[in-house]
Amino acid sequence: MKRLAAVAALMLVALAISASASAAIVTYGGYSWPAGQAYSTSYSPYWWRNVFSKMATFDTTVTFIDNVSYSWHFTLRSHATFLSIHWHSSQTKKAHCRANQGSSAWAACAASS
Amino acid sequence: MLNNGKTRRWIVALGVIATGGICAGAVIAAQVRGPGIPQGLEAAIEAEPLVLVADLPARNGQAKRGVFVQPTSAGFVCLWDAPSASSPARQGGCNPSNDPFAGRELFVNFVYDGGPAVSDVRDARLSGLVSQAVARAQVVMSDGTQRSLVLRGASVGGKSYRGFGYRLGRTDLQMGVGPIAVVALDESGAEIDRQTTGFNG
Repeated sequence: MKRLAAVAALMLVALAISASASAAIVTYGGYSWPAGQAYSTSYSPYWWRNVFSKMATFDTTVTFIDNVSYSWHFTLRSHATFLSIHWHSSQTKKAHCRANQGSSAWAACAASS
Repeated sequence: MLNNGKTRRWIVALGVIATGGICAGAVIAAQVRGPGIPQGLEAAIEAEPLVLVADLPARNGQAKRGVFVQPTSAGFVCLWDAPSASSPARQGGCNPSNDPFAGRELFVNFVYDGGPAVSDVRDARLSGLVSQAVARAQVVMSDGTQRSLVLRGASVGGKSYRGFGYRLGRTDLQMGVGPIAVVALDESGAEIDRQTTGFNG
């Protein structure tokens, strides 16, 4: 019984660590960035932050797109190396990012839920 | 049916496998974030103070906002468009503190609501910082006109920053007129930087 209890406890700890490491932030784009390349998450009411992180400066956009009018919300366009937008709403939406110019530098988009 | 001893061994084995898989997943997830999403920056953005450097006046039925600069302990300077210094509803970008203009003379954020079609944009705002080399800055509009930007100063942590905020008027938006670029000029009036917005109304 002691061994079973130990295994159960270990699994619970691992689950907690895993949840905190991977569920809060989801990387949804970051493979190549030719001009015009865009990526999106799936639709969810839980997204609240959308970031675009880059190892070099180039022209990029981040936004949220709702699933009713497909309108863009809190859109930010900037050359900055780290872009961040926030939409604290339960409306169903997806996070979206786009490279307005091409770059070979490492870059990735990530959404928080 | 398995006896009691075998059942326990199976449960232990499955537990070890599941635990290993879950841990591996967490490690992979952390690596997928990549080297460029600084964990320290996210924490600093949430915890450290913002300083007002310019205003975004109430317009188009939208409330007043501000342009804020946030030097962080994570080695980045951030520029935010936000309702207040304490609001989490902020949009903006960050550059390394040792190169806040990323090799240029302007650090510009273009924020808008609505779209992507220009005719659907309800509110659009420009915010920015300028380097010491910049004497004047202006917005080039899609109708060919130019709008001067008022540069305001702020001192944060012993460093001086100059910034601007510009909010488009309803008339401009209704006519599909918007900013196509922000231009930086030196003392002689020569253009020393230009950042386009992608607005092509």
